[in-house]
Amino acid sequence: MTPRPLRLNVNGTAEEIPDVPGPERLLDTLRWRLKLKGTKEGCRTGDCGACTVLVDGRSCLSCLTLAHEVDGSTVTTIEVGAEEVLVARVRAAFDTAGALQCGYCTPGFVMAVAGLLGERGTAAPREELLEGLGGNLCRCTGYAAIVRAVDLLRTEVP
Amino acid sequence: MRPVSGFDLVVPETAEEAIAALQTLGPGEAAPLAGGTDLLLDVDEGRLTPRRIVSLRRLPWRTLDWNGDSLTVGSTLPLRSLEDDPQVRVKYPGLYEAVRNVGSVALRHRATLGGNLVRAAPASDLIPILLALDAEVDLVGPQGDRTVPVDRFVLASRRTDLRPGELVRSVRFPEPRPSDFLWQRVRPANDISQVVVAVAFSPSGRRWRVAVGGVSPRPTLLTEAAEALGNGRPNAAAVRRAAESASARAPFVTDRRASEEYRRRLVGTLLERTVARVAGAKVFPA
Repeated sequence: MTPRPLRLNVNGTAEEIPDVPGPERLLDTLRWRLKLKGTKEGCRTGDCGACTVLVDGRSCLSCLTLAHEVDGSTVTTIEVGAEEVLVARVRAAFDTAGALQCGYCTPGFVMAVAGLLGERGTAAPREELLEGLGGNLCRCTGYAAIVRAVDLLRTEVP
Repeated sequence: MRPVSGFDLVVPETAEEAIAALQTLGPGEAAPLAGGTDLLLDVDEGRLTPRRIVSLRRLPWRTLDWNGDSLTVGSTLPLRSLEDDPQVRVKYPGLYEAVRNVGSVALRHRATLGGNLVRAAPASDLIPILLALDAEVDLVGPQGDRTVPVDRFVLASRRTDLRPGELVRSVRFPEPRPSDFLWQRVRPANDISQVVVAVAFSPSGRRWRVAVGGVSPRPTLLTEAAEALGNGRPNAAAVRRAAESASARAPFVTDRRASEEYRRRLVGTLLERTVARVAGAKVFPA
């Protein structure tokens, strides 16, 4: 069976992508068909979080997700413009905190943080936000600055 | 572009179509896809070579239903949705704890209870708590519907009682129970457990249920340890006896994650801690 054209809204643009094979991962559709190379391939086994994107606002491991399984969804990647306010704020916080070393894990971390804040809000308990990043690895071990970036985004509950 | 393994992806609209799509091929040639977070790893690494993968995404099984206090979880509901239900946390605390400790947030947005059960991994973080809560599996298949207790559904490592063409539609939890779940892992976050202990107390039957996972090919109910805990809040000696029984009687293996001896010691310790947490719960009957 040949799947129908894949329909995605990616960073605000409606895409209709023909000839996407059933086994193809969302990661590969983004990087190789749509040329959005900001989303990184790390382990390809769901252990590192480098490939994290948002699907309908929720964090998603694009290496373990068949592209056709999210047909019809809205996909947000690190390339999204400033109109996506939350992602833009997270990017700015990572910038201010200097929360990157080699930078390879950064897109995944930014999307994971944006996803968590979208789900839980900026007033969520600090522990819950940090626990929620347990699926993202930084091989430079630059975690302290990443935690500072998260702290910049948090709003204290009065 | 990475080469991708060759399978046809079919996306049926109804359970009948899904069953037919699975049934028309031989064993191992077709596989159902829920979240895919475990299945696709086996496909990528060549451990499974299905010719057809049958997506369950269009089936109306992303559900969470309460019938009084009894809970029915649709097999394709993402684990994150189960974790986010405020009643689950209160009525089935052990289930809540187990679910929120599976993988990462992004993984739990896709992974499902049905998938975890059908994939029957030895170190499943969920099967032990399903055993302790006496969960039942609702199946649909070519020969009609049937219901099987989890203890009879999970047969061995990666093996279940699922018949050709059958699908898990939902998992049912008959009664709320004071319950909890603890694990030991090399890395706390997003790792596979070396030992999992799940404990629940059934208020209706006034009996304990103790299950372990990660220690042997199949997650196991420990009846002797459960009986040692008695019919209510156990005293320290009873907890000690239960822990000793678990360490002595549970099946243990050595593998790349931990040794038999390490697991044996850990099961006793985790069992004591888990029981203490359950017995201390406010909902625990006096």
